[in-house]
Amino acid sequence: MSPAANQPNPTIISQPRVRRGHRVFFFYSSALLLTGFVSWLFADLMWRTDWSISKTILLALFTILFLLCSIGCMNAIFGFFIRLIGDNSRLTQLNDYRSHDIKGISTAIVFPIYNEDVARVYERLRAAYRSLQKAGEIEHFDFYILSDSTNPDKWVEEEKRWLDLARDLDAIGKINYRRRVNNEAKKSGNIHDFLTNWGRRYRYFIVFDADSIMRGATILDMVRLMEVNPEVGLIQTVPALVNAESLFGRIQQFANRLYAPIFISGLNYWSQNFGNYWGHNAIIRTEPFIQFCDLPHLPGRKPFGGQILSHDFVEAALMLKENWQIWFAYDLEGSYEEAPQDMIENAQRDRRWCQGNMQHAMVVFAKGLRGVSRIHLLMGIFGYLSSPLWLLFLLTFNFILWSRELSGLSDITVHAFTPFLKVDGMQHAFLIFGICMTVIFLPKVLALIDLARDKQRALAFGGMRHAITSAIVETTFSSLQAPLQMLWHSKFVTTILFGIGVNWGTQNRGSDGISWAHAVRNHWAHTAIGLVWGYAVWRLDQPTFWWFAPVCAGMVISIPMSVFTSRATWGERARTSGLFMTPEEILPPPEIKRLRERMKALDESGSGEPFASGSGLAIAVIDPYVNAIHVSLQREKWLNPQYAEMLAQIGVARPEVREYGEKLLAEGPDALKPAERMLVLADSRVMSWLHHQVWQRPNETLAPWWQKAIRKYARN
Amino acid sequence: MDLTQFAHPPGQLAGRTLEEWNSAYAKVESYFHALRIQNKVLLGQLVIHVIERAMHRAPKEPQRSATEIAAEEMDKLVTTWFAEVLQEQPTNVDQQLSTRGRLSLLLADMPGKWQDQFLRPGPWPEEFVTAMRETYLRAGPDFQLSKMVPRPLDLGPIATLDSFSRLPYFKMFSVWILFWIALIVIFILTH
Repeated sequence: MSPAANQPNPTIISQPRVRRGHRVFFFYSSALLLTGFVSWLFADLMWRTDWSISKTILLALFTILFLLCSIGCMNAIFGFFIRLIGDNSRLTQLNDYRSHDIKGISTAIVFPIYNEDVARVYERLRAAYRSLQKAGEIEHFDFYILSDSTNPDKWVEEEKRWLDLARDLDAIGKINYRRRVNNEAKKSGNIHDFLTNWGRRYRYFIVFDADSIMRGATILDMVRLMEVNPEVGLIQTVPALVNAESLFGRIQQFANRLYAPIFISGLNYWSQNFGNYWGHNAIIRTEPFIQFCDLPHLPGRKPFGGQILSHDFVEAALMLKENWQIWFAYDLEGSYEEAPQDMIENAQRDRRWCQGNMQHAMVVFAKGLRGVSRIHLLMGIFGYLSSPLWLLFLLTFNFILWSRELSGLSDITVHAFTPFLKVDGMQHAFLIFGICMTVIFLPKVLALIDLARDKQRALAFGGMRHAITSAIVETTFSSLQAPLQMLWHSKFVTTILFGIGVNWGTQNRGSDGISWAHAVRNHWAHTAIGLVWGYAVWRLDQPTFWWFAPVCAGMVISIPMSVFTSRATWGERARTSGLFMTPEEILPPPEIKRLRERMKALDESGSGEPFASGSGLAIAVIDPYVNAIHVSLQREKWLNPQYAEMLAQIGVARPEVREYGEKLLAEGPDALKPAERMLVLADSRVMSWLHHQVWQRPNETLAPWWQKAIRKYARN
Repeated sequence: MDLTQFAHPPGQLAGRTLEEWNSAYAKVESYFHALRIQNKVLLGQLVIHVIERAMHRAPKEPQRSATEIAAEEMDKLVTTWFAEVLQEQPTNVDQQLSTRGRLSLLLADMPGKWQDQFLRPGPWPEEFVTAMRETYLRAGPDFQLSKMVPRPLDLGPIATLDSFSRLPYFKMFSVWILFWIALIVIFILTH
């Protein structure tokens, strides 16, 4: 299939003036030029004190790491200037789309979920639904909650709350719910399942994450943009982080809102119509996605073989491979997401992403992919690989220091092959250090200058004074957090390479952040490494210790830092001091405002509390309405030949399921294995039978667990 | 209700102990309560109605408990009423009618708007009947099945590298190779 023909011809208002290939060349040449220059200076510095193999390794690591920093910095520099001079080469500027009529265009909005906080996900859906309703175009959209939940309590809770939500919004038939029979291929398999069952009903589908929120007007804009750009296969918005309460969450939120505009403008400068997909808050043209974007199974075993875990980058690469365009619609406001509220939760998310991104190493050399896709994939890989490389760089540096101390010889500095610099060794080192710091911190400065240019926007960040103070505190915090990220990511990469799982223990998060015990469990090793490493460097060379102090300090104070930054009370204190303010905090859009109010009400009433452990099965059997909902949905699955086959495969409707049911009544759920309980839940006949049995049998013939559950329905 | 007709021996009703009827009453009441019948008078009336029917049956089935008989009567009463309201035959092999009926009660908002109509003989208000009969629940619109098949992707040189991981003891070998490389590097660096 080629890009759709016979589409209306929108008015073209702008076309990119510079070819994309030239932009990529120019952009990466700048980064390489800078890297080449600084690496040359670094090699020169090494040369001054005699060359060795370890210095060759150090130089190689420095070059790679600096290149990565340089690319980031270039994104910010290019983005800054693009914003300064104005950018016509963005999707929203290419065609006149705002007045385009979308009558008759069907779009599905899908929410893939997996054992999520049900009440909160549904509140986000409600916010998007209401917003679209207010925009007056709700009839062109259908919503799908695509559950992959494996927890029976979540499963039943999702069904119950779904119907409550649909009834509340008068949207039965508009907001749909389906739970997959199995979890094959995780999120990409979940979307695949939706597309093979209902995909052809819709010209477009918009993917939300469990944390996503979108404004109705933005959703409409996305559909219009698709309509007027028939050669575009996917449009990715840039979600703004919102609703953070903990100090950590608010720092991340502030950094995202302040720095993202210049970075994303830079990214759009070189990627243009060869953008990327981040897995959510994006609109996708259904037909080419169905045709070209099913993911192949990778050869070999895990962690690299098998199903592709991080599907989005690969799907984008496959779309581009078939000549469909992908754009970042980065200037579309009204796309939001929520983020982890503490460092440990953030690391857990990184662990999932890390494995997916590392797996892209298998795809990066695939034949037929666009060069830009390879760059996107490589940047994703190095996003995580850079941590072990940095660790290796520091260790190599320590080794050089140690071997010098061990030799007992002092350095005899020689003239470098750059005599025209006319600097001594120390000045030379400081010059390189200064450049590195500039490359790392320049984007932040540019983001602040960019903010200062727009008074309205500056006010939305609480004013320039507050924004500058916040950026300084944020920079200090991220400098302390960076060594922890380095250790975490290094561990992830290593464990993934050797196929070892990471044990996180149970998440121990109260209403005001993580507990001290939880922090100690997750950070004791960081603290120990920081202390030992710091002491070792101190013993080796005291002046060097002070260079290492920021790295070790982050590790040493990781436990209190993790606890305090996870606290909402500290987040609130920062807010009252005017720190880390974002536009969505100061002037919340109606969707976010309503969502916050609803969530607050849920918290206060307790009605948003997740179903208690084990209660899902009890409710699905005992409650006449929940049982009816559950049984109806399970029965319906048999209408779909694919589901019917899967249900038969897992053993639903076999006689032994009734036996499990008998056991369940007589002995309670603990008598069944988790898989057996899930089988009972998946069997509509047995569930219906259980409902009647539990109400018809005398209480004394039922397991005490049932008697207790039934008592909850007694009139008080 | 003339209770004297059931009270043969003292402390018994329709051949069952008062305690047994109490359990039956509690169970039936709990079920109606689970159906969100909140009105106390209505709830009491419905429960008494079921218990009365059970008491009529009880002397003929001495081997069965009062709760079982009462629950059966309750189920029969409710299902028959569903059949009448929904105009369906109560064949009910797989309790489909019961499921559909309960779903209709919920979607028609019986607990909120039509408590007084529950188990009441017809005719019922048109709005209530329409709401009950027109409700449906589905996971989504009609399936429009399509096939989504991965296209072959030549992974290039990396695919051949991957075959190394199939070698037996690959991890062990790689750890030892790394160890020896480290030893060699340390040797070179320290001499």
